[in-house]
Amino acid sequence: MKGNIRYVSYWLSLLLLLSLVLAACGGAGSTSSQGQTLHVLIGYNSTYPAQQKQWMQQIAGEFQKATGSSIAWDTFSSSSEEQTKLQTSVVSGSGPDVFSFGTTFVPTAQATKGFTTLTDQDWQLVGGKDRFFKQQLTMAGSSPNQLISVPWVMRPFAMVYNKELFQKAGLTAPPTTWTEFVQDAQKMTNPSAGVYGTEIDPSDSFDPWKIWWMFAGQLGGSFISQDLKTAQMNTPEAVQAARFWFDWATTYKIVNPNSMAWKAGDATQAFANGKVGMLIMTTPTLKPTLQKSSVADKYAFAPMPTIPYGMQQRPANGVPDATIVSGDMLAVADYSNVKNLAFKFINLVTDEQHQIQWTKTFGDLPVNVQAANSLASQDPQTAAFIKAEAGASPTPFTGVWGPLEVALAGVSSKLANEVATNRYDPSHIKPLLDQANQQIQGQLH
Amino acid sequence: MSIQQPIPEATPATTVVVRTARNRSGIFGGRPMWLIWPSIVLLVVIIGIPLLIAIYISFLNLDQYTLRSWISAPWVGLSNYITALTAGNVIGASALTSLGVSLAFSLLTTLFITPIGILAALTVNTTYGGRTLVRSLYLIPYVIPTFVTALVWRQMFLNGTGLVDRFLAAIHVANINTYWLLGPNSFWAMVIADTWASWAFIYIMVLAGLQSISHEVYEAADIDGANAWQKLTRVVLPQLRHILGLALLLSTLYHFNNFTLPFVMFGTPPPLQADVLPLNIYVSSFQLFNFGLGAAMSVITLIIMLIPGFVYLRALRLGEVTAS
Repeated sequence: MKGNIRYVSYWLSLLLLLSLVLAACGGAGSTSSQGQTLHVLIGYNSTYPAQQKQWMQQIAGEFQKATGSSIAWDTFSSSSEEQTKLQTSVVSGSGPDVFSFGTTFVPTAQATKGFTTLTDQDWQLVGGKDRFFKQQLTMAGSSPNQLISVPWVMRPFAMVYNKELFQKAGLTAPPTTWTEFVQDAQKMTNPSAGVYGTEIDPSDSFDPWKIWWMFAGQLGGSFISQDLKTAQMNTPEAVQAARFWFDWATTYKIVNPNSMAWKAGDATQAFANGKVGMLIMTTPTLKPTLQKSSVADKYAFAPMPTIPYGMQQRPANGVPDATIVSGDMLAVADYSNVKNLAFKFINLVTDEQHQIQWTKTFGDLPVNVQAANSLASQDPQTAAFIKAEAGASPTPFTGVWGPLEVALAGVSSKLANEVATNRYDPSHIKPLLDQANQQIQGQLH
Repeated sequence: MSIQQPIPEATPATTVVVRTARNRSGIFGGRPMWLIWPSIVLLVVIIGIPLLIAIYISFLNLDQYTLRSWISAPWVGLSNYITALTAGNVIGASALTSLGVSLAFSLLTTLFITPIGILAALTVNTTYGGRTLVRSLYLIPYVIPTFVTALVWRQMFLNGTGLVDRFLAAIHVANINTYWLLGPNSFWAMVIADTWASWAFIYIMVLAGLQSISHEVYEAADIDGANAWQKLTRVVLPQLRHILGLALLLSTLYHFNNFTLPFVMFGTPPPLQADVLPLNIYVSSFQLFNFGLGAAMSVITLIIMLIPGFVYLRALRLGEVTAS
C-alpha cells in the first residue's frame, strides 16, 4: 500500500510539474480589470529612440482615453528579428495583435495566411480607404478585395548629392539619365583625395535587389512574370542591371575600390564624411544623420535617373520607376481576439493630426492624403518626395518576394567577392542569376 | 481494501528491517532520485520535443505557404537531405562546403588556442606578486560578449581604414587595401577573431587541471634531473590528459556551433569562405523560408557532432569504475 502511494505521488508530482511548465509556456492574453490589452509590434527607431519612447507613451495614453484599453508595445531592431517574431507567432498562434512591416514584405506575410483580410466594415473602422495614399494601397494585399494591411507611413527612395562636390566639379543640376549620372560621377572622382562620384554597397542584405529592380524595370524587365508564376531573374534586362551596377567599380571606376565589403551603413558614413558625391537609394529619414555630420546643409535630395545608360529614352516597355512603393504597413493577426481594438489603434495613428506629428518627429512621409497635401503645400522638398511616391511602382505581389530579395543579395555578395579578389568577369553574372532563378522558381506555386 | 492480519505492533524492529531491505533492493539504492524529475521534464520539454519536431520538419516541404499549419505540410521524405548534400546554394556555399568550412574553422581555432592556453596557465601556476591581476587580465577576452568582439574585429578588418590593414601596411607586409571581410582572407579573419576571444577557455581548464598535480610529482622529476621542457612534456601534460581532452572536445564543438561571430562580422549573406554551417542553416530557414532544408541540415550537423562526443566518451570509458 505504501508502495502504491509512493508510485501515485511520483506520477502526481510529475503531472503537476508538467502542467505548470505548459501553463507557463502558454500564450499571454491578459485582460486588465478596466479593459483589454492590445499588443503592438513595431520597428525600433535607432535614430530617435527617446522620441519614439515618448510617442509610444503618448499614443498609449490617448488610446486609453478613447477606448479604455491599454497598449503593450514590443519592438524589433532588425528585419531578421521581425521575420523571426512573425514566423514564431504564425506557428504558435499567439503573439502581437498588430504587426508593422515593410511594403515589400506584405506578400510573404500574406502567404502565411496569418493575417486578417479587412472587410468593408473593417476599412470603415480604420478611417475609410479614401483616407490613404492610393499608391500605398497597391501593396496592401494581393488584390483590391484581398487587402491584409493598412498603410502607416511612406518612405520613398531618392538620391542625395553633395552640393559642394557638385560645385567643385562644375555641375549645376543632378543627373536625370544614367549616362549623365556616370559622367557626373567621373567628374567628381578624385582617388588621391579619397573622393568618389558615387558609392556601391554590394555586401548589404537588402540594397542590391532594390537597385537592380530599378535598373531592370527601366529597361522593361521584371523579376517575376505578370501572372506571378514564372521567375524572371535571369533575363537580359536583369543581367544588364547587375552588370551596370558592378561596372561602376570595374569599368567606370566611380566608386571606392574598397567598397566591395560595404553595407548600407558604410556607404552612408562615406557620404556623411564628404567622400561620396551621390548616394542612391536613400530616404528622407537620412536627414537627421546628415545634419549631425560634416556635410550638414551641403546636401540636397533628387529623384533617381530614369533613363538607362547609353540610351536617349526608355525602351517601349520600360517603366520610369524612380522608387518602389515603399513604407510601413500595419496588419492585424488572424489569431487576435481584440481585432476591433486593433483597427481602432490603426485609425488613431493614421489620422491627419497624428500623421503630421509623425512626419515632423521622425521624417517619414504621411500616408494620410490630407496630411500629405498639407505638408506638400508648406515644403517643396516634401512635395517632390510625395510626387515621386505617386509615380512609384509596386513590386510583384508574390509570397516568394522575401526569399527573392535574399537570393539576389547572395548573387551580389558572390560578385563582390570576385571583384575583391580580382576574379570578376561579367560572364559570371548570368550563371549566378540562373541559379537564383532556379531556386526561386522552386518556391513559386 | 481490508487488512485481516493483525498489525505487528509488538515488533517494530521487524517492520523497520523489512522497510530498509525493500529500499536497498531498489535500483537507486534508496537515494531520492525523484528529485531529478524537474530536470528531466525540462530537458524533455525544452530539448527533447523540439528535437523530435525538427527531425519531423526535415522530412516536410515547409515554407511560408505551409508554415501556419505545419503539421500537415507535404511530406517529401529524404528529398531535403539530398538537396542539402548535393545542391549548390545561391546564397552561399552548399551544405557540404559549409560543413567543410565549419570543420576547418573549429579544428584550426582549437589547434591555435591550445598552446596559447597551456602557456598562459603555466605562467600563472606559480605564485608571484601581481598574479591575481594577470589572471584577471587573461579572462577579459573570454568575458566580453561575442557580438561586441565580432563588431570590434569587423571594424579592425575593414580594408583601407581598419587597424589590421593599417598595421600591416606600416610594417610593409601587406597592401593597405587588402580585403579581410571578403575572399579567402575572410576565413582567416574569423579564425583570428575567435582565437583571440576563446583561448582563455583552454587556459581556465588547464589551470584547474594544474592545481590537481601535487608538488611531490614535480620534486620527483627534479630529483631525476628533468629540465623544464621534459617536466612539461613527460610530467605535466600526461597528468592533464583527461581535462585537456575534455577542453579540446568542448572547444571544437563550441566553435563548430558558433553562429554569433560570423553573423555579426560578415552579416548575411556571408562570403563563401566564411559560410559556416550554422549561418547557412539560418539563412536557408529563416531568410529563404525553407524550413525543411534548414531542419535537414541541422540533423546532419547533429549526427556529425555526436561522433567526436561518442569517441571521447568511449576513450575515457566514463561511467565505468576506473582505478585512480
